[in-house]
Amino acid sequence: MKLALRHAFVLAVCAFAIFPILFVVSAAINPLGTLASTELLPTGAGLANFGELMTSDVYPFGRWFFNSVFIALLSSFASLLLSMFAAYAFSRMRFAGRRVGLLALLLIQMFPQFLAIVTIFMIFTRVTELYPAFGFDTVWGLMLLYLGGALGVNTWLMKGFLDTVPKELDEAATVDGATHAQVFWKVIMPLVTPILAVTALLAFITTMSEFLMANVFLRDPESKTLAVGMYGMIAGDRRNENFGMFAAATLLTAIPTVSVFLWLQKYIVSGLTSGAVKG
Amino acid sequence: MSKRALGVAALATLALTACGGSDPAAPSAAPSESASAAPASGNLVIWADPNRVKALTPFADQFGTENGVTVEVKEISKDNQQTFLTASQQGSGPDVMVGAHDWIGNLVQNGAIEPVNLTEEQKAAFSDIAIKAVTFDGQIYGAPYAVENIALIRNTDLAPDAPATIEDMVATGKKLKDDGKVQEILCLPVAQKGDAFHVYPLFAAGGGKLFGSTPAGDPDPKQVLVGSEGSVKAFGKLRELGEKGDGALKTSITNENYIPSFAGKKCAFLISGPWAMTDVKKGGFGYDITPVPSFEGGEPATPFVGVQSFFVAAKGQNKTLAQEFVTNYVTNKDVAKALYDADPRPPALTAALEEVKAADADAGKFMDAGKDGMPMPAIPEMQAVWEPFGIAEAGVVKGGDPAKAAAAAQKTIDGSLKN
Amino acid sequence: MPPDVRETVEASQAPRPRRNITTAFVVSRIAVLAVAAAILLYAAPPLVATGSWIGLAVLLGATAVIGYLYLTRRYVPAKYLVPGTVFLIAFQVFPVLYTVTTAFTNFGDGHRGDKAAAITAIERGSVRQAPGSPEYQLTTALRGGELVFLLVDPATKQVRLGDAGGLSPLPGAEVGVTGKVLRAPGVTVLTAPQAAARGEEIAALTVPTDGGAVKANGLSRAVEGRAALVYDAGCDCMRGEGGPWRADGSQGYFVNAAGEHLAQGWQVNVGLANFARVLTNPTISGYFLGVFGWNAVFALASVAGTFGLGMAVALALHHPRMRGTKAYRIALILPYAMPSFAMLLVWRDMFNRDFGLVNQMLGLNVDWLGEVTTARLAVVLVNLWLGFPYMFLVTTGALQAIPRELTEAAAIDGATPWKAFRRVTLPLLLVALTPLLISSFAYNFNNFNAIQLTTEGGPFPPENPQVGGTDLLITYTFRLAFGTGGAQFGFAAAISVFIFAIVAIVSAVAFRRTRKQEEVYA
Repeated sequence: MKLALRHAFVLAVCAFAIFPILFVVSAAINPLGTLASTELLPTGAGLANFGELMTSDVYPFGRWFFNSVFIALLSSFASLLLSMFAAYAFSRMRFAGRRVGLLALLLIQMFPQFLAIVTIFMIFTRVTELYPAFGFDTVWGLMLLYLGGALGVNTWLMKGFLDTVPKELDEAATVDGATHAQVFWKVIMPLVTPILAVTALLAFITTMSEFLMANVFLRDPESKTLAVGMYGMIAGDRRNENFGMFAAATLLTAIPTVSVFLWLQKYIVSGLTSGAVKG
Repeated sequence: MSKRALGVAALATLALTACGGSDPAAPSAAPSESASAAPASGNLVIWADPNRVKALTPFADQFGTENGVTVEVKEISKDNQQTFLTASQQGSGPDVMVGAHDWIGNLVQNGAIEPVNLTEEQKAAFSDIAIKAVTFDGQIYGAPYAVENIALIRNTDLAPDAPATIEDMVATGKKLKDDGKVQEILCLPVAQKGDAFHVYPLFAAGGGKLFGSTPAGDPDPKQVLVGSEGSVKAFGKLRELGEKGDGALKTSITNENYIPSFAGKKCAFLISGPWAMTDVKKGGFGYDITPVPSFEGGEPATPFVGVQSFFVAAKGQNKTLAQEFVTNYVTNKDVAKALYDADPRPPALTAALEEVKAADADAGKFMDAGKDGMPMPAIPEMQAVWEPFGIAEAGVVKGGDPAKAAAAAQKTIDGSLKN
Repeated sequence: MPPDVRETVEASQAPRPRRNITTAFVVSRIAVLAVAAAILLYAAPPLVATGSWIGLAVLLGATAVIGYLYLTRRYVPAKYLVPGTVFLIAFQVFPVLYTVTTAFTNFGDGHRGDKAAAITAIERGSVRQAPGSPEYQLTTALRGGELVFLLVDPATKQVRLGDAGGLSPLPGAEVGVTGKVLRAPGVTVLTAPQAAARGEEIAALTVPTDGGAVKANGLSRAVEGRAALVYDAGCDCMRGEGGPWRADGSQGYFVNAAGEHLAQGWQVNVGLANFARVLTNPTISGYFLGVFGWNAVFALASVAGTFGLGMAVALALHHPRMRGTKAYRIALILPYAMPSFAMLLVWRDMFNRDFGLVNQMLGLNVDWLGEVTTARLAVVLVNLWLGFPYMFLVTTGALQAIPRELTEAAAIDGATPWKAFRRVTLPLLLVALTPLLISSFAYNFNNFNAIQLTTEGGPFPPENPQVGGTDLLITYTFRLAFGTGGAQFGFAAAISVFIFAIVAIVSAVAFRRTRKQEEVYA
């Protein structure tokens, strides 16, 4: 009975989550490629928009897809590591400036960063002159830029989780002669897989949908990410003409995220399963 | 200077990051194809929006081969004007920028572009309105390549005859609606915030004006006329067409749905530009393109005309090549035609337009509809007008008082121009 | 006596007994040195080549500091914090500092560069073709090592040679059909690629004439022109048409006697003027309270809604006998997996009165985004849809950290599930999630996109086009700074400082409360 209630509630929320997406599906299979049609199953529905998207020589969707996944995987992995390091220090060590540092991490994110683009140009114009391998038009430069956001709310998330891991565990390891590095890699990391997986997923999604920086950074059609490329599809008065393709692309964009989620899910709910075994 | 120093400092901090030791993105191991960047000379960089990159590339390559240089066509998807200004200022902008002529005022006040010297012969090869549009403060600032304006597009299966007046059009639309053949009288985007670009012909037809004009005939930023008597009258006309009147103008008709609605035969009349034609053709019915009509006894319904142009960046690395490319290369007919094929907007070169017309009558019809049009004001002050004007438009369409709406818009525009 | 981690760190100031040197220790130190050396080898040469000695000094200093940091056994927390912090400083702190300094300038459209750039732009923009002068066809050539212009008058086919000294006739030149000079005595004609490679020299060469000067216009044409405006350092003014235009250092413009100014200005320091403008602007002060109130409601409703819903589904799925959780979870994260700009546009269309799906399905005729109340409801709903998967994910993660024994123990003690949740689960969740909630509040307080891509701040009363029903502080102040009269970065920066102050104070107060929780738990 209780379980049925849970299912009913979750189903209702799922319906809420999926409802607008059905609208996108409708536009994607509509030959006119429009949101305006009020019937969900449009006349002449088909996969033409997907076909057009895959074969378009103006919009190299496959390349965008690959670029996005590549950048998102690599930069979310790197920022996860940086973030985890910081969270470990903040949670396990006591040092001067700890509270201030934590508060600063939170506050810096709150500053309206509308001048970010101007500063990015200031910094990377010089970088491009000196180190072209990390300048504009390179994914490496963009990844460095993304690492600027590594410390932030994700650090807080992991620190909060680490706070709940009993300190006795690493203390015991220290007694056995482990260095702080060994404690970190061998004791802490295995214990925090659920939150690592969640944070990795969040970082992955953030990078996948990042748009402003990638727009000024990657200027070759072939080097663009999905978010930037797709925005270009409907920019200006191209809104209507490409909307069907755009809707199709929007749906396909969810594939990497869902795949990463499927892959990480077993780590996220590892606590649950072990609990179930015990019970 | 201090900015540069700041940049260096930030960059030096950055260069050290990999000393973190375990940073997996450690640059030391990262090879890059662009490591051997070409020297500043002999390299031309062009920025364009996604729709033109593909069309421009072959010509850019050809230009490169002829002059022994490499030409790169780069694509920017969003905020092109601001990105260009910022990048130029910091020294990593392009040599040639592709954009709309109404950017000129702002680009000039930021010292971002330089005048383009066209010979008398070259000027004569363009349509008059294209040259007029790219002329700012007596100087030509861009090489035009396409001219676009809105017109009345009509479903000839539903409405065989071109309406002589707006009243005619509304009457036909109403009749079709009453007969259940269409759902809307007119497909013209208004949306919640108004759409100054699309409604301007009707506003002008009703006797409205945005700016007075200077002795030279350019819009005069010192005379904002949005709140003038004529404009109030025009807003009154829009109100009569609006939701509390004929119901021809509605805030629910938006930029997202107006073209698909027409293509889906939900209305017989569409006011839009060449960009609508791909969708209109998918609708599979007969159509015709005519100038936007005026009110009975009204002023001419002049549409805004936008001219797509090539600009020479003032802070480019290679201005000589950029000037060569813009003044002597893209002004040729083949380039104009290729750009037309990639994105069908009527070419600004008369010779190219003639050829295009032969294959596609629509281009000529749009051109005719816009021949008495008004180039979108390129003065920077126009930026202060768009939004308040749009909100006033949406207000009267919903049934608001024209005099109050016009006065409020005028006040807002005056206020922001003062700062 | 087992050393406590905390004490170890605090005690690190004092010399400690040496530990055994392990292989791992040696290897890691060698790795640090190798990486540091590699970075130096990569980063230093370009700095030396361009003479950026300050940059080089910073690089060497920082390498030394960081090298030392990882070689020594001391400063353990810094070892973990430095990697992320370096990026944070370069890409987050630096832009913030830059924004703050910008608030004291008039940086914006018309005032982007320095005065020298403005003078160049004015002079170059004022060059007009000399009346009646020929439209020369240009061939570039070398006389010895010196670049010269060979100019063909298309009307007379006469060829002249132009150099820094002026124009002189060039008899004996051979002109091709295109108008280019093929060969001429005493000079070597440059081919197109050769000329292209000398672009900068060609642009720099000015050939003086009686009426002005001949300059190259590209590689194949040259124009005789004259600048209508010329800078005169003596009076610090531009002389010429409509002038003199005197430099006004307080506004960063050249101004004439009639009070007009030239279009091209430069960036100057304006002191506190931008801040004063924020405080005295009647549009801002007059509507501040109303907008602030709605803004706070919007942010709180977004946080409470997303957290409430996200946590509720996470809890509902957090049950050992729950089936189909995998499918549910995928459906639940879908809103988060789609590009949000696209979905915001979709939602806007769904709320359309005549064409939208919402009215269609509910059989209503509500102008959702056209009335203040419904528009506010709509944006909160849209934001709930966009934001709850995030809260769902983090709650799911955080729930794993709560030992099931605790809730089971509460159940054994006879607590109802609701009480167990209130007393055990929720407090533990909040330990981990409070900072996220604060951060989410701050994010939504400034959620520019959620408003800009749906209602654009509207609906607007026709009698006041400046403040709309769903406007947040950031959308309506940025409209003042960017929507009208070009981008005014200085003004927007001052606005940002104020908005940041508001958000930061609220957050810092909330943050202080978390200290208690943490101490209790830790």
